[in-house]
Amino acid sequence: MAEYKGMAQPSRAGEKDMRKIHMEPIPDELKPEKALEYLDEYRKKFRSFVMAMESCTKCGQCAENCHTYLGTRDPNNIPTNRAELIRKIYRRYFTLEGRWFGNLVGAEDISLDVIEQWYSYFWQCSECRRCAHVCPFGIDTCEVTMAGRQILHWLGITPKLHADVGGAMEKVGNHTGLPKPGIIDTLEFMAEECMDEFGIDIEFPVDKPDADIMYVPSSADFLLNPYTLMGAGMFFKYIGANWTIPSTVTEAGNFGLLFDQRYTQRHNVMRLLNAAQNLNVKKIVWGECGHGWRAAKMYVPSLADRPIRWDITHLHDEVAYLINTNQLKLDPSKNSKPTTLHDPCNYVRACGLNDNMRTCIKASVANYVEMSPNGADNFCCGGGSGILFDDKEMYQKRIELSWKKAEQVRATGIGKDGNGILCAPCSICKAQLYPMVEEHDLGVEVKGLIDLVGMALDFK
Amino acid sequence: MKLLIGQILPFITITIFVLGVFYRLGRWVGARIVHNVTLSDPWLKSGGEVAVKIGTEAFLFRSLFKFDKALWAGAFIMHFALLNVLGGHVVGFGLLGEQFAYIPGITAEMSKDASNLLGTVFGIVLFLSIAYLLIRRFSISEVKSISNSSDVVWLVYLLLIVGVGNIMRLFHQFHIEYEPVRDYIVALFTLQPVVGMELLESYFFLTHFLLVQILLIVFPFSKLMHLFGMFAERWIVNRVYHDPAPGMPNIDIPAARKAGLGLPSGGGGESASEGV
Repeated sequence: MAEYKGMAQPSRAGEKDMRKIHMEPIPDELKPEKALEYLDEYRKKFRSFVMAMESCTKCGQCAENCHTYLGTRDPNNIPTNRAELIRKIYRRYFTLEGRWFGNLVGAEDISLDVIEQWYSYFWQCSECRRCAHVCPFGIDTCEVTMAGRQILHWLGITPKLHADVGGAMEKVGNHTGLPKPGIIDTLEFMAEECMDEFGIDIEFPVDKPDADIMYVPSSADFLLNPYTLMGAGMFFKYIGANWTIPSTVTEAGNFGLLFDQRYTQRHNVMRLLNAAQNLNVKKIVWGECGHGWRAAKMYVPSLADRPIRWDITHLHDEVAYLINTNQLKLDPSKNSKPTTLHDPCNYVRACGLNDNMRTCIKASVANYVEMSPNGADNFCCGGGSGILFDDKEMYQKRIELSWKKAEQVRATGIGKDGNGILCAPCSICKAQLYPMVEEHDLGVEVKGLIDLVGMALDFK
Repeated sequence: MKLLIGQILPFITITIFVLGVFYRLGRWVGARIVHNVTLSDPWLKSGGEVAVKIGTEAFLFRSLFKFDKALWAGAFIMHFALLNVLGGHVVGFGLLGEQFAYIPGITAEMSKDASNLLGTVFGIVLFLSIAYLLIRRFSISEVKSISNSSDVVWLVYLLLIVGVGNIMRLFHQFHIEYEPVRDYIVALFTLQPVVGMELLESYFFLTHFLLVQILLIVFPFSKLMHLFGMFAERWIVNRVYHDPAPGMPNIDIPAARKAGLGLPSGGGGESASEGV
């Protein structure tokens, strides 16, 4: 089903897919009462959710600051209205004003239609948190989307894309279902490519015991973004690091953050810590993945089931540190095309990577043009939180959701000669932007950040 | 009726207001901050930075100023005028308009004039800024689409309270003096025999006083709790955060470069495997 009463919806996981990720779907007739039960549980636990339910004054500041609303002009995509889809139920059942004044304060009874509305709109939100950033109170509407998706998941309503990713992660340790032999083959192939194209001799150690550094790449880098992995490989070779990629976690992403923060997200965290312990590494360095980096940096501490013995840093933090301490020789003239940076939302609003990304890119490219707005003010690519659906209705939405980004890229002027580079150091951004730069005819090529660093490294 | 509004209701109002606010705060505290959802726009590195961030948001409406100047103008002026009007009620009645006489060189008469002028100006500004916010609710389609009936009701209700207050200040025949009000309130809350009940003969005073009491009763159960919600929310998203230190273990870049790591054998002189 890609539509419900005129609302676009991603195709959903079947019962078999849901059981693979340990959820037993709830029959339709029980969904409303169960939804209330789960909502009650959620609101008693998460203050971030309660405050989003109880402090909004409806000033409207978030509307013009949400790329989803700007792209679709659907009133339900105004962040506070999207939150209102749950808030109206919350008010009706869990507040005195809602019980006493009902419709006057916008309270509404739960129904299957409301639940279907949640499924449509909470999966059009990118969880980019620009609304939290601009809100005068700091109301984090992302927390509401997360609550909505969690409750939907418990009801057995999850997009097939996300459920499959959850299942693949549990089975092989990455989102793409690539098994260990495939990983090793791909990495050998990439090392050869690196030699052919750049004349640099690198290797990718997999499961190397007692390595100092465990590098966690995005699995999309094995298939869609090879230059990102090659860039990381060249960087680690350049600095002479004793590093390794764990075959059990060939995935920087953690889709649990996006649809199931209990079972799925927690298990991915355990998987990571087990890998670090088994390989006896000293430090964990994260690859290019926006939501995955947020999940690793900000959620591992609260989800881990044991004390964490390893510092976890991002590759860009490490590169920037070496640039700032003059330890890397980079030749920007190797990247001479006009280049701009798309700030992945999770990097700039949740992980503080803003300055370090700029340190890396400015040292690596000759012709850098800043996008406007940028940094923490930047707009999402429209694919945030993995809403990379391919079914017809949702693909159309993706084009609309990337409208603001397209406008921003156009305004930089880097694509006017058709040779611009749009640096988007996040796998979901890349997966969204590869087709979208074509749809919007932007004249740019999408690349990662470590790709550019790797190419600029002066090995001589 | 006057007995109810003037001598009984105030105690009920204060009780419900205080208990209600504690009830709401208790609900908030009961749920925990489970994950670290601090905003990195940018990281705040000390308690001082947190105080500046939350302070500028709470008292200067920083985000509104940055992203929507028209909304900032309305909201900031409205709240600033409201703060002054509330403060004016406290010092005006409490010190009978002579609050400025504490400043050297200002006489009691001058202070009363200043008090009157400020009260009048802020009363009018408050009325106009609330009206502006009300018009905005209807004239901007996005804001209209997010508004519940109660959002409009509150603004109209505030206009009524402020409007009645302004009438008492602007029209001489409805004017209320500071002194009887002070005596009435002092008597009421020190549980003395009540004086000044004749104040309630004025329908404007009665209406103003009753509407404010109803507002305070509903306050803890309404959106007006954003006064406290603002701080509770910021307490979640604006916290101190320190990044773990960068720097990777056991790397020696000069040695790696000297060994020519990465350069094909022959190109870099020494064996590439040496430094690994």
